[in-house]
Amino acid sequence: MRRVAFFAVALTATLTTLGFLVLPVVAIFTHVSPITLVRQLSNPVVDDALVVSAKTTVLAQALVLLLGTPTAYLLATRRFRGRSLLVTAVELPLVLPPAVAGIGLLVAFGRMGLLHTSIPFTQTAVTLAVAFVSGPLYVRAAIAAFEAVDPTFVDAARTLGAGPARTFFRVAVPLAGGGLAAGEALAFARGLGEFGATIMFAGSLQHVTQTLPLAIYAAFDVDFDVTLAIGGVLVLLSAAVLIALKLATSWTLSLQTSGFRFAPSTSN
Amino acid sequence: MRRLGALLLVVAATAGGTASAAGHVTLTVYAASSLTDVLPKVDPGERYSFGGSNTLAAQITQGAPADIFASANLTIPEQLYAKGLVTRPYVLTHNTLVLILPRANPARIHSVTDLRRADVKLVIADSAVPVGAYTLQVLKTMQMTDVLDNVVSREADVRDVLAKVALGEADAGFVYATDARTVPKRVTVLRLPVWARPNVAYGIAVVTASKHRAAAASYLKMLLGKRAQATFRSYGFLPRRTSG
Repeated sequence: MRRVAFFAVALTATLTTLGFLVLPVVAIFTHVSPITLVRQLSNPVVDDALVVSAKTTVLAQALVLLLGTPTAYLLATRRFRGRSLLVTAVELPLVLPPAVAGIGLLVAFGRMGLLHTSIPFTQTAVTLAVAFVSGPLYVRAAIAAFEAVDPTFVDAARTLGAGPARTFFRVAVPLAGGGLAAGEALAFARGLGEFGATIMFAGSLQHVTQTLPLAIYAAFDVDFDVTLAIGGVLVLLSAAVLIALKLATSWTLSLQTSGFRFAPSTSN
Repeated sequence: MRRLGALLLVVAATAGGTASAAGHVTLTVYAASSLTDVLPKVDPGERYSFGGSNTLAAQITQGAPADIFASANLTIPEQLYAKGLVTRPYVLTHNTLVLILPRANPARIHSVTDLRRADVKLVIADSAVPVGAYTLQVLKTMQMTDVLDNVVSREADVRDVLAKVALGEADAGFVYATDARTVPKRVTVLRLPVWARPNVAYGIAVVTASKHRAAAASYLKMLLGKRAQATFRSYGFLPRRTSG
């Protein structure tokens, strides 16, 4: 009897959770028909926002991968004093409210800021804002991925004569690949949705700094259809990222279970 | 961001109930962000949500539990009145538009026409916000719409424009005279030629769906009264010219 009651409670909670999480997404698509969505894609506001988002996301994620991967490798493989402090510093932007990130970037890179640059209001500003809020997600996941690499493989590569760079590219990165991809997918999704830091640091100007989330905000009280259409586009993009994330994760699992790493090399 | 804040306020307001123990009804007032400083001074006892007038109107249209709506123009409240969402709007007060520069004046702007120079970073409000519409109107009157090429950002409300200029990141911005007065140490004010100044009139109305319409009506009446109007003038607002 008690078991049935527990099951009923758990089932109700599950259905409520599912309903609550799915309803807003479903609501967007009940309000905007696929035809409207496609037609809105040729709306210049949506079009420009899509281009700005794509450009800045690609640049920001390239920055995150290029700088974040070696950073994570170093933090994961070296033990030194103050290491945990450094890791915490890298993780801090994750817990910062985006508005704080925005004002921080402004007083760091602004004309009146510490570095006196003219970056605010440019696409570079959008890229930096996106990299700032999304990068730590990747670095954190990458540190964990590198830490999970069995050090015996790295040591074996080194004893077999591979230099540190070759070991990094040929052994550590491929072995950590699934974890890196998963981290990057999360960072990509977070960056795509970036709003608060961007609007404070880069402002909002169609065709220049207005990303998809900023366009939703600007269209909200002007044209509800445009808002919904951009919302629909973002749902589809985010879902695609999530699916990529799932694939990356299952790829890692299959790597771990297939054991092909241990298979003797046949070609030589 | 202010829009999110407003939504949270709305949630808090609905959850917390509106009548206090003493029987005083705490009204929820949705007001243009240029009224941010003056309204709580006139009556600190109400719950305020400040934002772009167009944003607040969109929220009211979506059923936000506001009792009073004060807009930085007459057009928006009249549109809501036509839809039956608010009662007939009254003129609350007047304002004027000015050009502001950071104190350091990095672009060396000394007149409105200096905005034409190619290297100027101008920040204006989105054209959907009243102050953005007034800005366009001024530029059209002065036959200076070419300076729109120098716009680096279109902000969601007047206070966002003010912040970008006060921080020194933008070279110039158009705000209401009353906004410029709130940060006198950070910005320099350039007045516009009299013939180019737009007629900025604030419209105020009771929200039809309000549960406290009587209290809201007396609040509105109080705002139009002598004492409240004197406070408005002390904040730099212009005296009412039209009686509602």
